[in-house]
Amino acid sequence: MSEIMENPKGGCVLAGINSVLSAIHRTCPVYHSGPGCCMQTTAADQGQSGHKHSCFVSGVSIPSSNMLEKEVVFGGVNKLRTTIQGAVDIIDADAYFVLTGCTAGIIGDDIVSVTNEFKTKGVPVYAIETPGFAGDSSLGYEAIWNTFIDQVIEPSEEKDDKLVNIFGIVPYHDPFWSGTLEEIDRILSKLGLKVNTFFTKKQGIETIKNSSKAALNIIINPWLFKGPAKKFENKFNVPSIRFPGLFIGATDTSEFVREVGKALNLDSELVEKVIREEEEYVYNYLAQAIGVVSWKRFAVVADANNAVAFTRYLANDYSFTPVLVIISEPIYRQEDKERIIKRIENLEYANPPKILFLSDQYEINEAIRNEEKEITLLVGSSNDREVALEKDIQFINGAFPVNERLIFNRTYAGYKGSLTFTEDIYDNL
Amino acid sequence: MPFNFNNSNVATRENRIGSITGYVGTLKDLAEKSQCGTLKGCSRCFSQSSTCLSTCGLSQLAAIRDVAVIHHGPAGCSVASSGSYYMSRVMAKKRGVTSSTVYVGTDMNENDTIFGSTKQLREIILEVNKRYSPKAIFVSSSCATGIIGEDIDSIVDDVKSEIDVPIVAVHCEGFKSRIWATGFDISDHAVVSSIVQPPREGVKSNKINFKNFFESARPEIIEMFKKFDLEPVFLYCNSTVEELSHLSESLATTCICGTLGNYIGNALEEKYNVPYVRSINQCGIVGFETWLREIGKVTGRSDKIEKYIEEQRAIYLPQIEEVKKELQGHTAVLGMGPGYTFEVSRVLDELGIKVVWALAWHYDKKYENGDVPPSMKYLLDNDIDFEASVADQQNYEVMNILKKYNPDMYLSRHPGSTVWAIKNGTPAIYVADEYMIFGYKHTLEFARSILDAINNRSFEENLAKRTKLPYTDWWYKQNVDAFLEEAN
Repeated sequence: MSEIMENPKGGCVLAGINSVLSAIHRTCPVYHSGPGCCMQTTAADQGQSGHKHSCFVSGVSIPSSNMLEKEVVFGGVNKLRTTIQGAVDIIDADAYFVLTGCTAGIIGDDIVSVTNEFKTKGVPVYAIETPGFAGDSSLGYEAIWNTFIDQVIEPSEEKDDKLVNIFGIVPYHDPFWSGTLEEIDRILSKLGLKVNTFFTKKQGIETIKNSSKAALNIIINPWLFKGPAKKFENKFNVPSIRFPGLFIGATDTSEFVREVGKALNLDSELVEKVIREEEEYVYNYLAQAIGVVSWKRFAVVADANNAVAFTRYLANDYSFTPVLVIISEPIYRQEDKERIIKRIENLEYANPPKILFLSDQYEINEAIRNEEKEITLLVGSSNDREVALEKDIQFINGAFPVNERLIFNRTYAGYKGSLTFTEDIYDNL
Repeated sequence: MPFNFNNSNVATRENRIGSITGYVGTLKDLAEKSQCGTLKGCSRCFSQSSTCLSTCGLSQLAAIRDVAVIHHGPAGCSVASSGSYYMSRVMAKKRGVTSSTVYVGTDMNENDTIFGSTKQLREIILEVNKRYSPKAIFVSSSCATGIIGEDIDSIVDDVKSEIDVPIVAVHCEGFKSRIWATGFDISDHAVVSSIVQPPREGVKSNKINFKNFFESARPEIIEMFKKFDLEPVFLYCNSTVEELSHLSESLATTCICGTLGNYIGNALEEKYNVPYVRSINQCGIVGFETWLREIGKVTGRSDKIEKYIEEQRAIYLPQIEEVKKELQGHTAVLGMGPGYTFEVSRVLDELGIKVVWALAWHYDKKYENGDVPPSMKYLLDNDIDFEASVADQQNYEVMNILKKYNPDMYLSRHPGSTVWAIKNGTPAIYVADEYMIFGYKHTLEFARSILDAINNRSFEENLAKRTKLPYTDWWYKQNVDAFLEEAN
């Protein structure tokens, strides 16, 4: 339903789909939409994600049918046909995906028939029918995975018991996605696993096609990917585990490692050895810088995944006091809200913070402004900096959107990321 | 051309001033054909991303201080908000003023596209008014609301009695025009029809309206105009609604970019007799002097202006001549909006750089007053010619040209465009700031920037060696107009 949304964080379904496709090596989105949708959706996620953009095709180089009044009135399938043909002629990609803008969605262009014309000629073109207005970037992430499951991934009887698929980290919509996936990959590789991150290591459409061989789907997110996970399991017989939130620091990362070890029946000695090494590495550094930062009372404004991670690290590993946590992405299902609340409230060392679900910037600002308890540190997005300045609170730009810093492979996640995060607390006193 | 401010809709640039987005040929041919009226634009059977007119239109309006923009559409459309929010805060801070402008989306969803949501829109307008107490409210449509036929005009009319600040419907259906600059006209139309008031009686003004983007050269322009007893009113970045309401009282209107300022300039002239300064723009030496002299003529200040020109020439011309020696003979390709492409190519010519190809994202055959754009007329009169195309920001056409001509530099005002040139190994100059080539001083700086860019190519060359571009070899062998077809 229409409601006021000051500064939505992220874009429409197409933004999420485009973010995923942009992160997959040699994959080309083709927009069947109005002339502005490529730029708007690229601006929505990549444009606010620490200044990193897809190197292959992005923004101005994405093929688009640029539908005008004529197409709105008479239908746009002819324009779509020549746009796909042109894309295939000039862009040297391994796969092409047709996205449906609001315009094409409302007038009901039959994009499946057009893509099928190409498919029968052996051209790897796939249709995604979910139109822009159907939801936000997060839904886009699920929509594109549903497309992969329905049309791209090939069934496989043999499973590789060391192969795992990682889900729940949305490229660009999480500005730290590259570094985070690299850290997850690094940790799991130490357990002897082969990791499909899909978005790093130049993994491309072949990796996606063969992802049905995996022994386990690992979802790192408290709510995203429910539908696709079920679908994946039903169609390809790959079970999934959900770790209810991203992890920063020893406590949560070790819990994650143990859960993966349990789910895959890994040698527990190896698992504990890896954990020991990693924890030693982290604490060796932490022991070398003590006492400069006095204890902070903190608030977090972030998507659920990162809100969980920041809150739990600062409270469980770094002795800070959680005051207020605002989940700034729309969460629709009650069960998801409860899972998020549970993960944030269930702290080993601190009293649980107040938790709010707000995505309208006005309401977010009001909540921080009017918080009765003192806040001395705010971890949030560029949009939340203003209220931090106003209240003279130390601020860390750690959540989407990130406009004021360049992020290549920086991450706050995992063991090594927790050190970077701690460095940044000192950097910004 | 007659303006109709009783209707909230603005005709598109295509329909109003014969703008086109597809052409490949030479500058002379383009100019001659537009002068004699035989120019026909092409369309493309294959295209890459263009840009939404709403981004242009609404970011202009959102730059005004203390207003509210309500973008009625799916959440993805209002993402421009983040940019506007950020820019307006940064620009206000830079100037030391505050702005409480907000940009909200209405987060339209699937149900709304079926059942409509005018009732909610009405409530949202009232709530926004209550929450933020803006000084003006702009209510915009989107593709989705346009197609399902949401009547935003009626809603706006309906709430007028409950809101005591100007409120106006702004029609930003993205599919309406292939020329995103139509968005500039849409914002001008909204301002002139809802905010600008008739001149107050007896008010004598020495003000001159100056339409620009981000007013980065504000202090020095104020300083310069002081010498001529003129006071610039910059729009729309950091403008107040109060300032805008008095635009009709100014001595003249001028602009930094003809594409940006043409509509409001002509509208104020037609409706309120405020003369619009029509000349080539302020880039480069000839441009700056021509523009100043035109202002002198229109406002009756020629003597003061001639004196200023003489002083400045003495300071800067010798220095510019010095840099020119090193620039002589280098080659350039440029891709910009038409308000800049044909101005910057003139400046490059002045600096001794050879333009091998100029791309304009669109092209206006004529301006609101029916004349060929002054920048084109100048090039034609001075017998300057090179290959030119009208390219709708099409990256594949840019890359085809860069590969074939391998110029010493590529210049663009669009960051996404320079990125691709750099990946190709071409030094790129991002002419982001509209004042980057303004007047003598900045022309000198611009010449030096070019020199820096072409003298150290370490990043471009190293990156290009290690980067594979997405385009097929087949495409590089094609003519750049391979996908153009007769417009229909």
